[in-house]
Amino acid sequence: MSFSLTTLMEQVLNGLTLGSLYALVTLGLVLTFSVFNVVNFAHGDLFMVSGYTLYLLLNFTQFPYWFIVILVILLTGVYSVIMERLTINPILDKSFRAHIIATLGLSIIIQNAAVWFFTTDPRHVPTIYTSQIVTLFGMRASVQRWIVLAVTVLVFIALQWFVRYTKLGKTMRAVSQNQTVSKLLGIDTHRISIITFAIGGAITGLAAALVSPLFNVYPHMGSMLTLKALAAIIMGGMGQVNGAIYASFIIGMIESLFGGYVSLAYKDVAAFVFFIAVLFLRPNGLFGKRIGL
Amino acid sequence: MKQKKVFRITLFILLAAFLIIAPQVFKSGYILNALIDATRWTVFALAFDLIAGQVGQVSLGQSVFLGLGAYMTSLVGSRFGFGWFGSILFAAVTMAVLSLFVGVAFFRIRHVTFAIGTLGFAIIAQMVVNSAVDITGGSLCSLGVKRPLLSIPFTDIALKITKPFQYYYLLLPVAALLFLLIWAVNRSRTGRAFIAVREDEIRAAAIGINPLRYKLIAFVLSGFVIGALGSFQAQYLSVVCPSDMGLEITNTLMIMVFVGGVGKMRGVIIGAVIFSVLPRFLEVGGEKAIAPQLQQMVYGLILILVTLYMPNGLDGVISSLEKKGKKSKTPHSETVL
Repeated sequence: MSFSLTTLMEQVLNGLTLGSLYALVTLGLVLTFSVFNVVNFAHGDLFMVSGYTLYLLLNFTQFPYWFIVILVILLTGVYSVIMERLTINPILDKSFRAHIIATLGLSIIIQNAAVWFFTTDPRHVPTIYTSQIVTLFGMRASVQRWIVLAVTVLVFIALQWFVRYTKLGKTMRAVSQNQTVSKLLGIDTHRISIITFAIGGAITGLAAALVSPLFNVYPHMGSMLTLKALAAIIMGGMGQVNGAIYASFIIGMIESLFGGYVSLAYKDVAAFVFFIAVLFLRPNGLFGKRIGL
Repeated sequence: MKQKKVFRITLFILLAAFLIIAPQVFKSGYILNALIDATRWTVFALAFDLIAGQVGQVSLGQSVFLGLGAYMTSLVGSRFGFGWFGSILFAAVTMAVLSLFVGVAFFRIRHVTFAIGTLGFAIIAQMVVNSAVDITGGSLCSLGVKRPLLSIPFTDIALKITKPFQYYYLLLPVAALLFLLIWAVNRSRTGRAFIAVREDEIRAAAIGINPLRYKLIAFVLSGFVIGALGSFQAQYLSVVCPSDMGLEITNTLMIMVFVGGVGKMRGVIIGAVIFSVLPRFLEVGGEKAIAPQLQQMVYGLILILVTLYMPNGLDGVISSLEKKGKKSKTPHSETVL
């Protein structure tokens, strides 16, 4: 591939889209992680399930796309709460090992159920916006891509505002700092847990509804997404929302540039090698303060 | 206490005797293959438990050492004529060295992050093996692992190993050695240091136990054992595929160890035997009676239920039954999970 500004811009835009995907998935995960300190290995599978929900709604209903997006967001919020009630809430007080095993168990169930129902064939979920191309800032891309980029920025700002200035957001921060004291102060942590998972699920649903038309949906996609989101959280400095978001974009950019200029087959490997390098050089994350894990 | 010891030794001898004479009793290849599987998985699960149970870090990347150990045999051992035992030793040593590097990298992080890092390692390693078609054959698998050739000392006779019972007798001493290795380490000073690190790293460090050092010892030992098993597997199946290091293997390991009883050798052995033999009952005439997805789903469900209702696994259940029989009032041993 010859080096030209146009292809570079294309790769950068592609990296930004990938970064947006990872950022939205990470945002859902980091929320539940930072509030309750539970790592949810089934988070990526939530994205996959909501991708299939989008596939079903687009193929078997006549609703307009915007309405389907809202439906997917709401449904994924519900899925997330069901997941929280059935698996996560009962293990909240247990050790990290119990968290890993139980959520991995959940992930195994969801993935294999998806294979059971939908087979392993990747599904395309094109919308009317994936084929419309517009040129913005000198870059040609589908409308769907621009929507994804814009929505990611909006969601990020909205969440910042929500966590900082609303009462619920402040309550969530209180619980994340100290669960026991929060309970003493009369905060219903069970309610906060449900709300946190509902919001996390809704963001994941939004991500699936907007991003999966650009890529394919298949049963095992969740593992890789969970892994990248978790890598982003670690690189961003455990539980730091902003750091995790920046790290997501870095991962997306590395994958896109490496895939475009070096080797497509090894793009995930490149991102992971970068992750290991970060572990070596900055175990507390790229943007982390010096804290013990 | 003495009675218990006698009981244990008798049980151990009986078990060893059973394992040695089993092929003379059961002639069918079906049962022998089940025995080979049970033996392999038991040692594999014990090696996994060295990290998950003894030093208390959940590594989700141990399947990589099995797969790469197998590839070492297929790509190096068989090609350069290392012989069956030479191949096993070569795979074990290379995997021990590899796990030293991996351990140094990933033990910079702990607990959940360690699990995530090793999971990433597993996914990426499988991806590399899948993509490096020139070397590994990719998803078409690496064929041409030589059947083991057992040369009898002081003669020119060389016995080609092809039948299940021959493989079984080849595996048994190797598995026994690896088992004794793990058992000896767990019972030694080093093994007690593992537990100290698992219970409280800071406190362990305060009494002069270097946590990183003991974590690395456990990790390297685990890599050594699993590499040897991988090499045996390659020679037994005579084909190595990327799926030999798949995540399903880690899932199976986890269910064996956590259902059996993490950190307890007795529990891990019970879990490994159950979950390596049980799936065979679900097969009817070589065909799977239920879909593999359904089996995996049941495994996932069991994992969740175990964490919720049986945190000490089957071993914990047995221990509490023993205690009930004696009516002793000592509280139950520490919960690992």
